[in-house]
Amino acid sequence: MAEVRPEEVSAILRKQLAGFEKETDIYDVGTVLQVGDGVARVYGLTKALMSELVEFPHGVFGMVLNLEEDNVGCILFGESSEIREGDPVKRTGRVASLPVGERMLGRVVNPLGQPIDGRGPVSTDTVMPIERKALGVIQRQKVKEPLQTGIKAVDGMIPIGRGQRELIIGDRQTGKTAIALDAIINQRYTHTEAAKKQGVKPVYCIYVAIGQKSSTVAQVVDKLQQEGAMDYTVVIAATASDPAPMQYIAPYSGATLGEFFRDSGRHALVVYDDLTKQAQSYRQVSLLLRRPPGREAYPGDVFYLHSRLLERASKLSEELGGGSLTALPVIETQAGDVSAYIPTNVISITDGQIYLEPGMFNAGIRPAINVGISVSRVGGNAQTKAMKKVAGRLRIDLAQYRELEAFAKFGSDLDKATLAQLRRGSRLVELLKQGQYVPMPVERQVVSLFAGTNGFLDEIPLEQVLRYERELLEYMDMKYATLMDEIVMKKELTNEMVASLTAVLKDFTASFKASLTV
Amino acid sequence: MRNTRVARRYALALMSAAEETGTLEKTTADLVLLDGITRTSREFRLFLTTPVVSVSRKTAVVRELLAARTGAVTLTFMELLIQKQREPLLPDIIEQFTVLHDQRLGVVNVDITSATELTAQQQQTLRTELERFTQKIVRVRLAIDGTIKGGLVVRIGDTVYDASLTRQLERLRECFVRGASLPN
Repeated sequence: MAEVRPEEVSAILRKQLAGFEKETDIYDVGTVLQVGDGVARVYGLTKALMSELVEFPHGVFGMVLNLEEDNVGCILFGESSEIREGDPVKRTGRVASLPVGERMLGRVVNPLGQPIDGRGPVSTDTVMPIERKALGVIQRQKVKEPLQTGIKAVDGMIPIGRGQRELIIGDRQTGKTAIALDAIINQRYTHTEAAKKQGVKPVYCIYVAIGQKSSTVAQVVDKLQQEGAMDYTVVIAATASDPAPMQYIAPYSGATLGEFFRDSGRHALVVYDDLTKQAQSYRQVSLLLRRPPGREAYPGDVFYLHSRLLERASKLSEELGGGSLTALPVIETQAGDVSAYIPTNVISITDGQIYLEPGMFNAGIRPAINVGISVSRVGGNAQTKAMKKVAGRLRIDLAQYRELEAFAKFGSDLDKATLAQLRRGSRLVELLKQGQYVPMPVERQVVSLFAGTNGFLDEIPLEQVLRYERELLEYMDMKYATLMDEIVMKKELTNEMVASLTAVLKDFTASFKASLTV
Repeated sequence: MRNTRVARRYALALMSAAEETGTLEKTTADLVLLDGITRTSREFRLFLTTPVVSVSRKTAVVRELLAARTGAVTLTFMELLIQKQREPLLPDIIEQFTVLHDQRLGVVNVDITSATELTAQQQQTLRTELERFTQKIVRVRLAIDGTIKGGLVVRIGDTVYDASLTRQLERLRECFVRGASLPN
């Protein structure tokens, strides 16, 4: 280490001291009238602006949310127990904002950008306001690139495009977070050299945990670390023990961070897990600020709460760099009630939803996606041609299967065509099962769905389907790697490719069947 | 919660009534007297706030107490307050009245905090400077707080002009911390 001479130190200090101007500090103050439950009413502060940051004693910050005739309502981002009536409150002249930058990657921070992973401060150069207006029509373009989640059922039937907002909805314990995490983990391939060659741009991920148990957040971070996903991910956590105002602003912080990547021409994926809790926090804050309650006691602007957040997800026009911000909001329903207030709101705002069912989850169909009522309204444009070709039949086959399934339960005599459809449907359902944390690359998905929709599985016993898939993919990797590469590079299935794939599958299916009889 | 809204309305009504009858000065003095009574006499405060004493008895007591001491406007006003059952708001109304009165006269309250006691000469200089600065009549309230170490903290309305030594030192520290974290 180089030696540091004391003269040098004093010289630097003197230089800094020279830049220090002794000027009078001018600020506006108010007085705390009432404090408690994470909100405070402040007398004075007549010049305070909406959503301005104000400073309370003991380093607690607050945000102005209500401007009334004779007082100002604030939400507190810290411990309110130390603040007393009569304490002075300072205006800061800034709006609530978040430090943004690449250095945030790999970190766990709170919604104000302060690190909570005990790995020292995050030094960034830029600060952006938490609440920003969503972009207008001119700055956008349609969603056209796929965001691969690595889940067969999603990428095949409910494709998500970069810049889309896709809702993940379902009861508790149905695997909502699992889908979001798989999507994050699958973005690892976009940061590889191979992806660069294919023209796939890297996707940066932001996981916003709202009102979750600290232990759950720790688990998620741990898992992301194990899978090497923390290198391109930021976790923003407002856990259940954090004050409600923190939980309320957490998703906006996530969106701001995502916009940083988007505005610099990159791609970002942000998961809001979950917005039900955020709405509940906002309800708490609103009621304490004495805003009138509406349906389910939510305030009147709870629709705007989510619409302005999700509207920030976008695909930028080429002039602005073509970056994108994809949003995966999560909503938890109570006993499958999607017609409750918050779920209907968010369903109507998003570009589609992935609906998870406890019944299917318990029947062992995981991910427990109900493909009948799950939709993606814009992702279809973004799907690769190869996937479109193989997955086109998938939806229809499964829909017909579900219709017939009820009949089949009676066990009555069925005609041949019906039996064939039932056989096909049950194989497809089996094929769409997938383990957690094992995302599958597109080319493998294409091959395995191709086998399913073209009837190669029809003769295979149900319980052997997963083994068939596994061995088929191993076989393809070993012997026909060039064909797999071709699917990746061309992103479509030409007639010759279909022909050779059919031939390969015929061979493989025959040998697989032979192995069954042994 | 203070009921400033209601209080302001009553204060405004009282002020315009006093102005109409040309007894603004007398009324102001009356309110200072009333303020003094509410501050010093616990009985009077309780008497105002309790709902147990009936309206007619309260009116009678107020009439007997104030008839000889205050002007007609103030007395009528007190009777009105009791009639409308707003008499517990009297302290708030007095406060709002003072605020309104100051606004009319162009008076601002200025709180000056210093580390040591200011000399009469210093006080005079400050007052003239402040009056020049605010273009208003200044009512100075002085306070001494050793924790600011030196300098002055002047508060005019909601705005604080902090020229204290403590704050300067704080800013100096911030300056050093910021300077140290700069990569170069």
